[in-house]
This record gives sequence, structure tokens and C-alpha cells, in this order.
Amino acid sequence: MSASGEERQPLGGFGRYARLYLAFLRFSFSKALQFRLDFYFRVVMDLVFYAVHLLFFTVIYRHTPMLGGWDLEQIYVFACGAMLVDAIHMTIFANNMWWLPIYINRGDMDYYLVRPVSSLFFLSVREVAANSFLNLLAAGALVAWALWNHGGFDAGRILIYLAFLALGAFVHYLIRVTFIIPVFWLHSSRGLDEVAWTLNRLADNPHQIFPGPMRWVLVSVLPLAFTVSLPAHILFDGLDGRTLLHVLAVTAGLFAFVVWFWNRALAAYSSASS
Amino acid sequence: MRPSLFLRILSIEGRRQMTYRVDFWINAVLGFVAELAIAYFLWTAIFEASGEERIGGFTFEGMLLYYVSAILIGKLVRGQERHLAVARDIYEGSLNRYLIYPSKYGVFKYAEHLGALLPAMLQGVIFGLTAWWVLPMPDDAGIDAGSVARAAVAVAMANLLSFILRFPIQAIAFWADNVWSLNVMLRLATDFLGGLLLPLSLFPSAVQEALLWSPFPYLFYFPAQTLLGRIDTEEWLRGLAVMAIWSLLIGLVARWVWGRGEKTYSGVGI
Repeated sequence: MSASGEERQPLGGFGRYARLYLAFLRFSFSKALQFRLDFYFRVVMDLVFYAVHLLFFTVIYRHTPMLGGWDLEQIYVFACGAMLVDAIHMTIFANNMWWLPIYINRGDMDYYLVRPVSSLFFLSVREVAANSFLNLLAAGALVAWALWNHGGFDAGRILIYLAFLALGAFVHYLIRVTFIIPVFWLHSSRGLDEVAWTLNRLADNPHQIFPGPMRWVLVSVLPLAFTVSLPAHILFDGLDGRTLLHVLAVTAGLFAFVVWFWNRALAAYSSASS
Repeated sequence: MRPSLFLRILSIEGRRQMTYRVDFWINAVLGFVAELAIAYFLWTAIFEASGEERIGGFTFEGMLLYYVSAILIGKLVRGQERHLAVARDIYEGSLNRYLIYPSKYGVFKYAEHLGALLPAMLQGVIFGLTAWWVLPMPDDAGIDAGSVARAAVAVAMANLLSFILRFPIQAIAFWADNVWSLNVMLRLATDFLGGLLLPLSLFPSAVQEALLWSPFPYLFYFPAQTLLGRIDTEEWLRGLAVMAIWSLLIGLVARWVWGRGEKTYSGVGI
């Protein structure tokens, strides 16, 4: 008997998605290795990003001993955490986020809408940037260096920190999608793309530097602080139950909003190129 | 290329850029406000923590004005650089139609590039005048008609330098499937070394001196400092000369890369 799809035991929802994701991984890695030059360009690009990010804070700390109550060792932990979240985003989501507005505008989404899985899932993770995987390792090494450079954290606290960074990467993706979905109505992603790029810079700074109302927005409405700043805050000051509940509730709320927004947008999708 | 044709291309591109009005206003208002807010709160925190009245030669108000200038000048210098028009033409094979036009491709694209500046010019006027009206004029800034005129020349030169700087990188599309990463790399480098993220006066003096030999400070820092009246006539003329030399040198490299690339171009897209 051949190993055709029909003979496989039907798996539940999660199993089907996991198997599909493994297929995406296999395809993406074989594709990346066909475009060697692009592979190296992308690795160097991310390394330049990491260098600029670290040098930015190094220059600032030549003129101040603290920023948002954090010293240089703490800000290096924060900055390297930002790199790890960026590397996760670049590896898993970035390519898909790049293509999404193009699919919407060209009317190319029909193919994905008839698949027997969530179209949002399919379009968000179908292409893994295998070339960014090396940078994921580099960013991981930088986080390890920053934690060692700071010192004084036990394994449990580091694990919690890494778990919150992973959650931060997911929140970063949700915010990114929120800024892409309006393309269904606006027919152009240029303006929102620039705005998302700019707003993302809010997440590149410790959220403590912002005043009360804006900080509240960053942890409740547009939770950019969840991506890097809050995980670092939890690492330095510990996690309490109230913060945990708040983070989980806001993340779940944002996820529900993105799913609702996506479904509304699909209802407005006319399929024809616009 | 005839000047009338150049102006015609510029005008068409300008109108094309203004097609998506909602898009333009979202980008203009939210983008500018967010960037300025980040600079405001970041520098509030830094000035508070350091206890200094001046950092890198700037008071807090002066620093804020520097960011307003650098952000608006950044838009004018860059234009639509993220859209990789040249690389896309090569990649999609749409370069073919330009090859039979009776004008040089580079000049044609520069005309389009200038036309694409229309939204940035509008933003510059609207937000520049608003900032002029709202923000207090600090002691360490001397904006007057002369500094505005000198800055306008510096911005025009910086715009040309920025366009030429990206040209050879986009021409790599003759050999590579995706030059987007190279463009982002250049953007990151110019943001940091060009003074868009931080004024270069915050860097160690040895780095500042070394950077003066590179094209980067002349993209944003030099025009912004000129606008703020912090550059005297002699420095300004020297800066323009350095920009002209870099434009010429990189232009020669671009021409060489383009010539090599054209020989490999199949015209069918990739």
C-alpha cells in the first residue's frame, strides 16, 4: 500500500496543523538552499540589525547611567531579547507578512480560502525563512551572553523570561497582522506599513520611559510592551499573579480581535484584483 | 533627456503617489507623531537620568528640534526607497521597455524618484510649520531664511546621494533573486551612521571624525544641522563638496555594476 494521504489516520485539529507545518518547514528549507546569495544577504542583514541595536544603546549610555531605571547590563539583556523576538518573527512570520498584502491586492487568496485549514494560519506560517534560522541561533547566543554578562538569574527565572519572549513574538505577529488586514479595504499597504515600522520602535525602548496613559496603552491596547520590555521587567523584578493574568487576558483578547477582524475582512474580499 | 520630459515624468509620478489619499494621511500623521513621541520620551528619560542640561551640544528643546528636522529631512532624502523600483524592473523583466526609450534609464528613474517626493514635501511643509508654531525655539538653534535656503540645497544634494547610493545595490538584482535584504542593511546603516537615530555629536569624537570621510553624515545629520543654523558657510561648502565627490564616485561604481549586469540580463524576468 502506498503512503497516500487518504490512507493516513485522520488526526484531530492540532495534529493536522502540526503535520501541515512540518511540510511548510521541509519546503521552506529546500527552497532557501536554492537561493544561496539571498540566504547570505539575509544573514548579514540581521547581523547588521543586531549591531545597530546594541550600538544605539551603547552610545546613549555614554551620556546617561540609567534609562527607564535600567543600567547598561540590564539594557543589554533587553536589547538582546528584542533581537531574539525579531529573529523569531523573521524566521516564522516575516516572509508571509510581506506577501499577504500582495495576495490580497492581486486577488490571489482564493487558493488559500478553499483549503481545509484556517486561512489565517495558512497565510501566516506557510513560508518559513530558513535563512533567518541562523540568525535565530545568533540572537539566542546574544541573549545567553547578555544574561551571563548581567549574572544573578536562576534557571527558573530564565525559563520564565524565555517563555514570555516567545509569547512576545506571538503578540508582535498579532500586531503586525492587525496593520495588514486594513489592506482589504485600503488596497495599499504602504502607509500602514510605514506606521507599523515606526510604532514598532516603541517596543525598542523600555516601556517605563513612557508616561502613565501611554504606558497603559502599551500594556493593554497595543501591547507592544509585551514583546520585549515586559519580559525583561519580569526577569529583573519577578512575576506576580496579577501581571500573569493581565498578560494572558490581553493576549487572548488581541488574538480574538485579530480572528474577528480577519473574518470581517474576508467578508469584504471580492477576489478580483484591485 | 529633455528637461520638459524630465518634468513630465516627475509630475506623473507625483500624482501617482497621491492616489491613495487615506494611506498618505495615515502614514503622514501617525508616522510623524509616533516618531516624535518616541524621541520626546526617550530624551526626557535620558536628560532626567543624566542630570545634564546639554547632551552632545543639545539642550532638551534643541534635541527635540533636531529630531523634528531629521525626521522630515529623512523623508525628503529617502523618498520611496523601500519600494526598490530598479530591482523590481530587473527582477520582473519590465526593464525591457526602458531599454528602448530614447533616454537614459538612470535619469528616468531619478525623475520618478523626485516625483515620488511629493507626499514627503507636503508632510515637510505641514509638520515643519506646525513644529515651528508649537515648539519653543531653543537658544542653541538659529533657524532663519539663510539656514533654510542652505538646508534646501543640502537636502537636494543628499537626496541625489541617497538615490545614487542605492542604485548599485539594486543593480545586484541582475545576479541575485532578492536584494531587499541589502536595501534594509543600507537603511539600517544610514539610519544609525547618518544621524537619524541619534545626533552624531553623541558618538565618540574619533568616530565622528572618521564618519566625516564617509557619505553617511551628509544624508541626514548635515542637512538637519544646516537647517538649525549650526553649520557655518565654510563647513557647508565643504559638506557639499564631499557629497558631490561621493555622488560621483558611487555613480561610477553604479555605472560599472549596471554595465556588467546589463550583459547578463535576459529580459524575461526571474
